[in-house]
Amino acid sequence: MSISPGIFGLIIAAAVVVWIIAAFNGLVSLRNRVQNAWAEIDVQLKRRHDLIPNLVESVRGYMQHERSVLESVTQARAQAVAAGENVQSRIAAESILSSALGKLFAVVENYPQLRAVENFQMLQEELTSTENRIAFARQFYNDEVMKFNTAQGTFPRNLIAAPLGFRPATMFQTSGMERTTPQASMNSAAL
Amino acid sequence: MALKFGEATEMAPMGSERFVPRDRESFLDAQARHRRATWRLTFLSAMAAVIMGIPLALVVTPLLYGFGLMVADTVNLFSPLPPAFWKQADEIARFGLVAFGWLLQQKPADPQALVIGTVVMLLPGTALSVLLWIAIDVIFHRAGVGGALLALRARDPNPAELKELRLADVVDEMAIAAGIPAPKVMLIDAPGANAAVIGTSPQDARVVITRPLIDDFSRDELEGVLAHLIGSIANGDLRIAFRITAVFETCGLLVAVINSPFGSQSRRTLWRIFRYAILRSPAQGGAQEAAAVSDLLTRSVAMETNDIDRLFDTGKKSMSRSIAEFLLFPIFLTNLAIKLSLWFFSGVVLGPTVALLWRTREYLADSMAVQLTRNPDALASALQKLNADRGEVPRGGWASHLFIVDPGDGDRSGSGEPSSRQKAVFAQAWAASAPEGSKLATGSAALLTEFTSTYRAALAGNARAIARLQAAHRTLAQIDPALAATMPDPADLAAARQGDLEAVARLRAVRLQSSSTPGQHKDHEDSSSGGSTVSLIGFHPSLKRRLKRLARMGAHVDLAAGDSKAWKVTLFFTVLFGPLFLLLAGMFLLLIAVMVVSSLGFLVIWLAIIHKLFTVFAAH
Repeated sequence: MSISPGIFGLIIAAAVVVWIIAAFNGLVSLRNRVQNAWAEIDVQLKRRHDLIPNLVESVRGYMQHERSVLESVTQARAQAVAAGENVQSRIAAESILSSALGKLFAVVENYPQLRAVENFQMLQEELTSTENRIAFARQFYNDEVMKFNTAQGTFPRNLIAAPLGFRPATMFQTSGMERTTPQASMNSAAL
Repeated sequence: MALKFGEATEMAPMGSERFVPRDRESFLDAQARHRRATWRLTFLSAMAAVIMGIPLALVVTPLLYGFGLMVADTVNLFSPLPPAFWKQADEIARFGLVAFGWLLQQKPADPQALVIGTVVMLLPGTALSVLLWIAIDVIFHRAGVGGALLALRARDPNPAELKELRLADVVDEMAIAAGIPAPKVMLIDAPGANAAVIGTSPQDARVVITRPLIDDFSRDELEGVLAHLIGSIANGDLRIAFRITAVFETCGLLVAVINSPFGSQSRRTLWRIFRYAILRSPAQGGAQEAAAVSDLLTRSVAMETNDIDRLFDTGKKSMSRSIAEFLLFPIFLTNLAIKLSLWFFSGVVLGPTVALLWRTREYLADSMAVQLTRNPDALASALQKLNADRGEVPRGGWASHLFIVDPGDGDRSGSGEPSSRQKAVFAQAWAASAPEGSKLATGSAALLTEFTSTYRAALAGNARAIARLQAAHRTLAQIDPALAATMPDPADLAAARQGDLEAVARLRAVRLQSSSTPGQHKDHEDSSSGGSTVSLIGFHPSLKRRLKRLARMGAHVDLAAGDSKAWKVTLFFTVLFGPLFLLLAGMFLLLIAVMVVSSLGFLVIWLAIIHKLFTVFAAH
C-alpha cells in the first residue's frame, strides 16, 4: 500500500511540529532550573548575612585587640545587605565579605582558648557550612547553565533556540577585585 | 572545590598531586553510560512479569475456559448462540491434541494456527501476571521502599551536638549541590557504620545514618557518602528500587495465590495484602505494614513446601482421602510445576540480572558523588573505611540494596558462627547459671529456644531477662574467660537499642576485637543478605571495582597490584565449575520442562473433560 505524497508530507510536518514543541518545552524547563539555581544562591547569601552578627558578638569578648578585623566584617556585611539589585555590585560586595571573614578566621587561629569554647565551635561549623552552601549553590548554578547552554548549542536544537528567544546564560565567575565583572546578560530578565 | 574555612586541622596531608586538574567530562560520560541502563531495567521487569505468567496459564486457562463455557451456556438459554461459536469452543479443546500430534507424531498441522493457539492458551496467565504486577505497583506505591527501616529506633539529629549538627549541615549542602529538597535525616544507634536512603521520591526521601558513621569519618568523607546517597535520590533510584522489589513481590504473590487452596499460611498472606490494599491506614503505620507484607511476599518466593508436604502426609489415610488425593494429583503436580519454575526463574534468571543492573545504579551514584563534591578521594577513602568496618544494621538485611555497603544480617554482634565447642561451653554456662528452682531445659534445641527468647526479651528491655543473660555471662567468664571476652555484655545490647552512646561504643569495641581478620572482607563478593537471598549475586559491587572507577575519575587510590595469582585461581575454578554448573542448570531446566509438559497434558485432559461435561449436560 502506498501513501500519497500529500498525506506523507502532512505526516512529516506533524512530526516536526511535535518535535519543536517537545524541544521548546525542554528548553523552557532548563531555563527555569537555571533561574531557580540563581535564586538559591540568593537564599544562601542572605542566610550568611543573618549569621554574621551572632558570630561577631560571640568573639568580640575574646578578641579585644582585633577590633579592626571585626569592624571590617561588620562593615562588609552592611554593605552587602545594602547592595541592592545590581548584580555586579552585589557580587563584588559578597566577595569583599568573604575575604573579610577569611581574615577573621585566620586571626582566630591565634586565640586557642576561643577554639575550645563549644559555642564557638558550633558557630564556626555554621559559618563553614554557610560558605560551603554558597559554593555548592554556585556549583549547581554553573552545572545547570552548562546543561542549558549545551542544549541550546547542540544540533538540532540550535536551529530553533535563537528564533524562539533563548539566549545562553553566563556562568558564575568568582570575581575578585582584579577581575572584570561579567556582562549584563547575567541579569535575570534576559534569562 | 568548595571554599572551606577552619578545615586546616582536619585535612589529611596531601601532595601537590591533589591540585592537578582532572578531566571534568569523565564523570559526566560515566553518568550518560549508566543512565541508559535504567530503561533496560524497566523493560526487563515487564518481560519478567510476562514470563512469570506462562506457568500460571496452566491453572488460569482451564478455569477461564470452564467459566467461559458456563457463561455461554447461560446466555444460550436466553438467546441461542450461533453454532460457529460452539465449533470454536470445540477447536480450543482439541487444540492440545493437535499440538501433541504435531509434536510427537509428526502429523501435519497449520503452523499459523499452532502459534495462535499457543498464544491464546498462554495469554490468560500472562495477562493475569502483568495485571498483578501493576496492582502491586499501585498498592505499594505510596509506601515506597525501605519501610522496614522505619521500625528501627531512629531519631532526629540533635542540633546542640557538634557532630550531629555537622551531619545536618552536610546533608543540606549536598541537597543544594544536587538541586533537590533536603531529605529528612534519621539517626540510628547501631554498632556498624552505614547509611541508606528510603522513600518513594525526592520529595519524601529519608536518609538513614548510623551513629558510628559520623563519629569516625572526617567531614570530607561524610560529604562523599552523603553525596552518593543524595545523588542516587536525585537520579530516581528510589523509584527503580521500588520496581525491582515489585517484580519479586509479584513472583511471591503468584506463589501465594497458587498455594492458597492448599495452605493456610498463603491464605493469611493474601488476607493481609487485601486488608492493607483496601483499608488504607495513615502514613506511618501504613509504610510499616507495607514493608511487613512485602517482606512476606519476597520470602514466599523461596520454596515453601510445608503446605504440600502436609497434604501428602502418609499417616492414617481414609479411603475418601486416598480417592481425593488421586483425583487432585494433577492439580498438585501442576502446582508444583508452577512453583518450581517460578523459583528457578526468580532465583537463577531474574535475581542475578536485576542485581547486575542495580550495580550500574551504584556506579552511577558514585559518579554523581564525584560530580557533587568534585572530590573523588573523599568517597574512595570513605568506601575503604566502610568496607573494613562491615556496617551491620539490625533488620537492615531485607533492604540491603538501599545501603551504601552491604549491611549484613543484623542481630549478631559478633562475626562468624561459634564453633561446636564454644556452643557446648556456652550451653554449660547457661545451664549452670539458671535461677534457683526453675525447670532446666534439656537438650540443645530446648536450650537454644530458651536462650533466644530470653535474648529477645532482653533486647526489648525486660530487666529479668537482662539479669539472666548477665548471670550466664558471668558464669561463662568463670569457665572460659577468653570466650566471654569475645561476647558482648547483654546490658549493653539493650542500652544500645535505647540509644545509649557509651553502650554502642563498647559494643563496637567488642565487635572489632572479635573479628580477627578484617582483611578477609576487603574484596569479598557479597553473596547473600536478607531480602536479596533470592539472588545468587549480591546487589553491591565489590570495593575494588568501585575504587577502580573512582580512580578513573581522578581519585588517588592504591589499587593492590599483586593480583596475578588471583585471576589464575578464578580461571581454574571457572573452567572446572562452569560446565558443571551449566550441566546442572540444563538438567534442572529439563526437569521443569518435563513437569510443564506433563501438566500441559493434564490441562488438555481437563479441558476435554470440561468440554465433554458441557456437551453432555447442555445437550447441543
